[in-house]
Amino acid sequence: MVGLLEIRRRKLQFALIAAVFALVSYLVLMITGLGIGLNELAGSALLNFDADRLAYADTAGKSVIRSEMSQETVDRVSTAPGVEDAAPLAYVAANYVMPDGEIGSAAMLGYDPGTIAEPDVTEGRQLTPDDTNGILADRRFLSESGLDIGDTVTFQLRLETVEMEIVGEIDEGAFFFQPAIYVLRPTLLDLKYGNLPADARPVASVVLIQGTPESDAGEGYEVLDKQTAFNNIEGVQGQSATVTSLQVFGYLVGAMVIGVFFYVLTLQKIGQIGMLKAIGASSGFILLQLLIQVLAIAAIGLVISIGLALLTERAIKGGGEIVPISFTTNAFIVAGVLLLATSALAAFFSGRQVLRTDPIIALGQQL
Amino acid sequence: MLSVSNLTKTYQEGDREVQAVRDVNFGGEPGEFIAIVGPSGSGKTTTLAMLGGLLTPTNGSINLNGREITELSPRELTEYRRLSVGYVFQANNLLPFLTVRENLLVMSWIGARKDEGKPRADQLIEELGLSHRADALATQLSGGERQRVAIGRALMNDPEIVLVDEPTANLDSVRGRQVVEMLVRETKDRNKLTIMVTHDLDMAALADHIYEMHDGVLTPSHASAA
Repeated sequence: MVGLLEIRRRKLQFALIAAVFALVSYLVLMITGLGIGLNELAGSALLNFDADRLAYADTAGKSVIRSEMSQETVDRVSTAPGVEDAAPLAYVAANYVMPDGEIGSAAMLGYDPGTIAEPDVTEGRQLTPDDTNGILADRRFLSESGLDIGDTVTFQLRLETVEMEIVGEIDEGAFFFQPAIYVLRPTLLDLKYGNLPADARPVASVVLIQGTPESDAGEGYEVLDKQTAFNNIEGVQGQSATVTSLQVFGYLVGAMVIGVFFYVLTLQKIGQIGMLKAIGASSGFILLQLLIQVLAIAAIGLVISIGLALLTERAIKGGGEIVPISFTTNAFIVAGVLLLATSALAAFFSGRQVLRTDPIIALGQQL
Repeated sequence: MLSVSNLTKTYQEGDREVQAVRDVNFGGEPGEFIAIVGPSGSGKTTTLAMLGGLLTPTNGSINLNGREITELSPRELTEYRRLSVGYVFQANNLLPFLTVRENLLVMSWIGARKDEGKPRADQLIEELGLSHRADALATQLSGGERQRVAIGRALMNDPEIVLVDEPTANLDSVRGRQVVEMLVRETKDRNKLTIMVTHDLDMAALADHIYEMHDGVLTPSHASAA
């Protein structure tokens, strides 16, 4: 009650303290959010697959780019024991011409409607098996290219030019740092292998799997779980290391600043704490007051910083230029728990140190 | 009820031993107002702090109502300060962000006489003539009012002994006298043993017994005989 009353009576002072906490926490959250955003750019489409695992051709070195599977291999994966559901997916990197003439890149994925590989449409409609020239384009693709549902996109593949129509918008993210677009698998195979006779063509890059196959390899294929598959995306590992280091340093510096901050704050209360101790308050009572106070400030600061972070994310995503930024509930929880725990620890240790001081000295009594 | 014998406190100052309090003997009964007079550095506050369980004596005995204070553990000392002692310090008595009433209620918040906190606080506020200031913040009070609130808090836990350290240090003589008179009145009305430390002989003259302290040695004052 003393701790909370002090906050109520010294609103301005504690508002400033909460503001400092909020700014440090905001910084930590922004570093985290930018890191997550960058990682999502590397392959959120893969993480968003409605699958637990991915099967690759065993000659591909676990690379989606290099993996090419025959119909027989796809069938073997689909019927392997432990596989509950499976769907082939084909990938090709595609260039397209933007309305202003510039060339853009996209990650084109070929799927079969009705399978687990089919993405959710957020606007427009799904592809039907007759939409051989239809595409589902990611939100990012639309905002980067300035195109919209109903527009025609010109793709350039194998020295050919193909016109396709955007029929739906999806929110699957990116693949290999390019926005994902989905087309029918036969369409993609025609674009990718048009010059090959039908019986010599691969039919898919990977197979999406739901369930837990009994074996993580079979004739001509091997299976990775989705997270490992994500980490295997070219460039992700190095980038992840950088992003993780940034986050760790962000947390570390943020936690230290906040820790030192609350430490100094508590040391300033030495007179007040000495008086409470001198009139017979137990150490438990005093520590509890400090803890309540610090946690209240930290909680308020944290809420403000989360609000600021979400507003920043909206502003960035709303603006024309696309900076990869993304917040997950998980990121908020980790940052929140870490900063709250640091605050509590700082309050506890500084409180204990102050409590060790003789109350008669803490009071500043002239002996 | 209070019996102090051979009370001694020695400090180590560098490689020098300083005897702040030397072989002090005295006693007191409920309803008595005792003043200890002496110049600063004479050991008055050190004596008071030992009586209040804030300092551990180097030697000697403090017996309050049959309990030996010098033998209490740190935890028991905290409880002794909370339940048995009313202490008015030289300074830093009040929490500045709390009102007059809340500064008194702090005692029940920390666990002293929890159930009777509110009525007791209001009664003390009235007795001390602070009713119109009950909801004022401590920072808005005058020096004399602050000292009265500190006395009120010292009486909140219905203590066995009231210890007052230089209550008039920051007050003019008129207000200082009012505060000491109030202490005397509370001592008599509530039948408490009060020990006041001061360097002001005029204030000490209001006490039942006066002791003088010089270089750590306590002697009955001639003034008290008069």
